[in-house]
Amino acid sequence: MRLRFLALGAFAIGSAVLLSACAPSASTAPAPDAKDDVTLKVWSWRTEDVEKYNKIFDVYEAAHPGVTVQFEAFQNTEYNQILTTGLAGSDGPDIPMVRAYGQLQPNIAAGQLEPIDGLVEGLEGIAPSVLAGAVGKEDGKTYAVPLATQTLQMFYNKDIFEQNDLSVPTTWSEFIELNDTLVTKEITPMALGAKDSWILPIFADIVGSAMYGGSAFETKVLDGSTTFEDPDYVASLQIVDDMQAYMTPDVVGVSYTDSQIQFTSGQAAQFPGGSFEIATFATQAPDLNIGSYQVPVPPNAVSDVPLSAGYADGNFAINSKSEKKDAAFELLNWLATPEFGQLVADELNQFSAIPGVTYANAAMQEAWDNYEQAQAPYLLLVDFRYGEPLGTAVLGEQIQKIFLGQTDAAGAAASLQTGVSQWFTPGK
Amino acid sequence: MKTMSVITPRRRRNIGIALTKKTGLVFVLPALVLFAVFIFYPLMTALSYSFYNWTGIVRGEFASFGNYVTLFTQLPYKTQIPNAFVHNVMLFAGAMLFQNTIGLGLATLLHRLKRFKRFFQTMFTLPYLVSPLVVGYLWSLMLSPLFGPVNFVLKSVGLDALAQPWLGNPSTAIWVVVFVTAWQWVGFPVLLYGAALGGIPEEINEAASLDGASPWQRFRDVTFPMLIPAIGTVSVLTFIGAMEAFPIPYALGGSMGSPAGATDVLSLLFYRTAFESGSSNAIGTSSAIATLLFLFIFGVSIFITWFMRRAERRLY
Repeated sequence: MRLRFLALGAFAIGSAVLLSACAPSASTAPAPDAKDDVTLKVWSWRTEDVEKYNKIFDVYEAAHPGVTVQFEAFQNTEYNQILTTGLAGSDGPDIPMVRAYGQLQPNIAAGQLEPIDGLVEGLEGIAPSVLAGAVGKEDGKTYAVPLATQTLQMFYNKDIFEQNDLSVPTTWSEFIELNDTLVTKEITPMALGAKDSWILPIFADIVGSAMYGGSAFETKVLDGSTTFEDPDYVASLQIVDDMQAYMTPDVVGVSYTDSQIQFTSGQAAQFPGGSFEIATFATQAPDLNIGSYQVPVPPNAVSDVPLSAGYADGNFAINSKSEKKDAAFELLNWLATPEFGQLVADELNQFSAIPGVTYANAAMQEAWDNYEQAQAPYLLLVDFRYGEPLGTAVLGEQIQKIFLGQTDAAGAAASLQTGVSQWFTPGK
Repeated sequence: MKTMSVITPRRRRNIGIALTKKTGLVFVLPALVLFAVFIFYPLMTALSYSFYNWTGIVRGEFASFGNYVTLFTQLPYKTQIPNAFVHNVMLFAGAMLFQNTIGLGLATLLHRLKRFKRFFQTMFTLPYLVSPLVVGYLWSLMLSPLFGPVNFVLKSVGLDALAQPWLGNPSTAIWVVVFVTAWQWVGFPVLLYGAALGGIPEEINEAASLDGASPWQRFRDVTFPMLIPAIGTVSVLTFIGAMEAFPIPYALGGSMGSPAGATDVLSLLFYRTAFESGSSNAIGTSSAIATLLFLFIFGVSIFITWFMRRAERRLY
């Protein structure tokens, strides 16, 4: 009898555990707050910026009595899963930070985000290639306010340049001469972590965007009047191949982290990378004196001027299940103001997507001025990450093969075209 | 005395019945519940997910075998799956070779050792206690062509030709993965074979030597056959480990299996598809990969176990 009772009890406990694991968590969220007292949940993957965001939202709270912004950050690598679960449930964020371009589409397709066209002011001033990162591919509606812009340029160690009487190149021949001089002086001209393939399409656009023509090529490749096998695009990949002479031998064995150390420790004079490196360099080597420049126009290039590729990095959107949409829209409108943009620049050391922001950090201002001069999209990220295989993933691997001598520029371009053709239909 | 004889059979009967049926069930239940929730339920979920089209986390229409067909007809899967599979097989072959030669050799040597046996056993097992991810990152630091001590040492002793970009060269990178995996796990067969060797009665070997058997004959005809069960266990576990390999390839070659896919394995492909592709049907495709991987590992493991049991039966 006692045994039967015991077995029954164990079964009941076991079943309860099983059921609680399967069932969605019960809604313990409080009822929507009274009109004057609203708490808005903001989610982000920037765990390193929690204090800075709290400081930024203090400014908003001070101007909006009764509104509390609760900022929560989750591990970057796990954020997509956490957000997906959060948006599906009832206790998710009101304003989630969301990814851009192709990576945003699953959330839009699942109906988890609120369209914001006509409801948020200040979007018209944002660069089209940046705002495109917040637009639904299928319906063309805008779903988010871009947070930051990244730009891709050549960073250089000012001290090494000065010690060796070198100056920022303004023509292609000067650029080649600069690198040749560094080689003769036994300084590695460029630090590149080619073992991590994601950095390679970035490098390709830093040295080759002007060669294939940036935005003009983007228009043509999207409407189908050309492909990646276009001689100009192949020529841009040939430049990538030629640049290997200015890197550490066997560069495919060098990891991205190693390349950062190579640059910050003064072993390499230049670092082709994104503006997100500025903050990293400042932390790793506070005394490092860095500058940036746009790689000059190569001979026979489509563009007459040097180009800086850029893209949107992160957006703020509104959860379609939020019960506090009015307050959420008010906050989202503030996130599109120059006031917030300036706070992004000052507190987060990032390039704001909002125009009219100034940068106290000299290296940031220089990179931003370069970008403002002549912009181009970071083509494979902006337009070719909407299907599988991702354009960036294909080209990254192909450039590794170029460096390893397993393929050439034309072969890499052909593989890129074959890869993206699987899902990309021109003119759509 | 009389009382005792009455009580004893009752007690025995009670205990006997309880252990075989109801009490046994109660003891098994917690494990069963955990197994159901954390193993069986996710397994079945992945299986069912693989038969649907997905848009983000919203389940779409029934896709039948559509996701499986995608794996063998669409880029990047149709090229990456065979590539990754070959690397998994190389990992298995390399690990088997390493563990059944060096692992068994070390275990045999340690078995003969009178002193420091425990010390060496601990030393060989030590890497096995460290997280494979940590082991992988440590080796990638040691093999860095810029700052790595391995190439530095090779160069300083005049072996410049051997100072390779080990992880940057596709022809050496996968063997580095094989070596590091084997290096980490070698302590496991050493322990297992050590225990199996300890379990072989001394008398049999003594009898064999009295009959005039040479040391090699004793190993081949006495020791080795008695090690077959241990070899079977090591083989199955090595197979499962090699097919599921993730942390070491990830730490050494990144999620893309750098350089140029030379260290790609099936678990990395699954990880990329599920968490990095950004594809709206990521759940469908990655579940199909996971299901195929499971069925393959499960099927072959059962085959190896059956094969080893048959070998044992033939030998005894």
